Formats: sequence, structure tokens, C-alpha cells
Amino acid sequence: MPAVLTVDPRSGVPIYLQIIEQVKRSVALGVLQAGEQLPTVKQLAIDLTVNPNTVARAYRDLEREQVIETSPGRGSFVRADGVTQAPKVAAEIGRDALDVALREAKSVGLTRDELRRLFEAAVERWFPTTEEA
Amino acid sequence: MSIITISNLRKAYGGFPAVDGFSLEIPEGTVFGLLGPNGAGKTTTFKCMLNLARPSGGSILFYGKPLVPETFESIAYVPERSVLYEWMTVNEHVEMTRRAFTSFDPVRARELLAQFNVDPRKRARDLSKGMKTAVMVALAFARNVKIMILDEPTGGLDPVNQRHVLSLMINEAAKGNTVLFSSHQIGQVERAAERIAVMDSGKLILEGLVDDLKGDRKIVEGIFPDIGFTLDGIANDARVARTERTERIVRLLVTGGAEEIAARLSGAGAAGVRVLDLNLEDIFLYAVSPATATADVVAKESST
Repeated sequence: MPAVLTVDPRSGVPIYLQIIEQVKRSVALGVLQAGEQLPTVKQLAIDLTVNPNTVARAYRDLEREQVIETSPGRGSFVRADGVTQAPKVAAEIGRDALDVALREAKSVGLTRDELRRLFEAAVERWFPTTEEA
Repeated sequence: MSIITISNLRKAYGGFPAVDGFSLEIPEGTVFGLLGPNGAGKTTTFKCMLNLARPSGGSILFYGKPLVPETFESIAYVPERSVLYEWMTVNEHVEMTRRAFTSFDPVRARELLAQFNVDPRKRARDLSKGMKTAVMVALAFARNVKIMILDEPTGGLDPVNQRHVLSLMINEAAKGNTVLFSSHQIGQVERAAERIAVMDSGKLILEGLVDDLKGDRKIVEGIFPDIGFTLDGIANDARVARTERTERIVRLLVTGGAEEIAARLSGAGAAGVRVLDLNLEDIFLYAVSPATATADVVAKESST
């Protein structure tokens, strides 16, 4: 696996969640491809200088979410259906980002209608209709 | 499985309780960080574990049994203060340790000393505090033991050598061995430890998986339209550990259910409701100094 993972232990976000998020992102972006092998728990723990049980926890959750699979003795791999996973993972990343934005919008007192207008304008800015046509 | 069980440990020095009813379970194969302000009782606890100090009460069990010579042999201990013989060279310490412990690997010890940039021909008295720590750490990690007890194992070390020590600890955990260590450097504990305990005034005040503590403990903040607001009983929720009111702003330290409590705060009329993450330093400060730790967390907004 390319050395794409980094963690910020000083962050308030649990380290295992940081690892999960980054593996998902790598799958969504195709940096990690279907069938590609992940480093062993021990190797990744040593590379990142974080606790091996923390890495193991991240891998367990990624298995449960069917992003990776582990076969005893062989290691952990991006699931063979990982390519079809990519859009799903991308959608999750987008949803999480929207949640953060909407929380903030709500907290400063925007209404649904105001937010819809802002959202439409933002979509137009990032995904211009002329481009799609 | 718990490899070390500390039950209601007490140790008084001349009537002063250094450790005052401290209980802790340390699971096998973990890196466990013991945190606490100066004088919290960390070193005393370590000394009691190794029978270097006699407990005034309570018990410490290894594999469910009191310390016996066979177990003692499977523990490597790095004390906070140097126990090197000032007149002996580092090489002579390696040789002495080889004679004392059959599982000791002198080749590995020399490798580690080289990693730490220690000149093994030097006498201990000619080494800096940090270099003495490095020598004790190198000797301990070459012992090939199941349990490492490290009291401030990065004391006086430069950042490069501090990172070496963390890597060594992580390596032990990857082999299934158990590491218990104390440190003032919370950033190191945050990186290497799977689980932490915070001691204060000889007592346990907080314990858990670092990632779970970070996942559960949040600040929920909201701003009310006027100063005479009421919290509709939110402050009485068992998960609200502390409530701080500053004029129209309320800040709640919660130990779980942050999203739900944030929603209730909105429901009570607060605007600008945010959930803020806490890193281990914030969590530590909240645990040991009940009223002072709020300012640092304001800028860090939750991404969850």
C-alpha cells in the first residue's frame, strides 16, 4: 500500500476513526484498489507509531463495514468488490461532510429555505451545469 | 485477561497517603499509560508493584498471584531516577545485566545503545540525564520479558530518542507483551498508549481506552438570547459532568451522548450549538483541575 496514511494523535478524533476515514477515502479515490493488500496491523502500528490494538480496531471496523477482508495468515485486503464499494464510500464521505456543514448552518440560525438557496448556489459553483451537459 | 491487578493499594509515608486506595486492572498485551500531576502517586505505585516499597494496604497481583521471583524475572523496570553505578562504564552495565538475567540479549542491548547514540565506553557519571535514561531503557528492552514497567522512560531525551522509545514500546505490544509507563508528555501517551489511567492525590480519577475517552468526552456549547436562561434540567443528566455558564454562553462537559445533549440544548433555546472534541490533554486537565481547562477547547470544532 502506498504510504497514504497519517494520523494526528493530538487531535480529539480517535486514532482508529482517523485510520478508518483515510482507508475509506483511499478506496473511494482509487488509491487503494480492489484486492490490494494493506500493511499488517503490526507494520502499520510501527509505521505510524501508534498502538497495534488501535490499528486492529480500525481493521475490524473496516471488515464489518465490508471495505476490507482479512484471511488468517495472508493478511488484510481491499475487498474484491471494492471497486463497486468506491461510490458507496464516496457517498458516505460526502454525507459526513454535509452533516458538518449543516450542523454549522443550523447552529448559526439559518432556515431551511435560506440553506436550500445556499446549497443550490454552492452546487452550481462546484458542479456548473454547462460542464455536465 | 488482566496480567496485573492492583486492588485498593495504599501506601503512606509518615502518615501522608501517597497512594490512597488505588485499584487498576492492566490487560495483557497492552500499552498502558499512567498519567497524573507531580506527587500523584505514580512512582510510589510502581515501587509497590516491584516490592521496592511495602504497601500499607491492598494487594498487587501478577497473573493472579503475589510477586514471586519467577515473575520478578519476567518484569523489566526502568525507574525514574538513574540506578546506574556512576563509576561503571555502559559496557560494564551491559555485562553485569547479562550475568544477572539469562534472557538478556547483549547484542540487542548494544544495537539499542547505538540507536540512542550512547557511547558504551563512557562511565555513567559522564552521561547526561537523558543518556542515563537511554541506557536504562536499552538494558530493559534487551531483557526479552513479558512485562515492562517504565517510570518516565523518555525523561531528558531529545525528540528523536523519545520517538525511539515509543517505537520500542509499540514493538513490545505487537509481540503481545505488556507495557505500563508513566509520562508527563501527554502527546506521547496519546500516541503510544491504548489505555490510560489518571491518578491524582493517590487515587484513580479516570480510566479507559484513549480512543473511547476521545469518542465519548465532548464539550457541548450553546449561546442563549439572554442571560436569564434555564437549562430545562439538562445539567442534571448523568452524562453532563460539568456545567459552566459565562453570561449567555453555556458549556457542558459530557461523557457521552453529545449529539443528543446538543439537540436538547437547541430545544431549550440555545443558538450556535456546537460539539467540540477534546484531546487527551484537555481530558487530563478536566480530570485533574476541575475548573480551569475550558479556554483551550473553544477553537477545536467537532468533525463528527
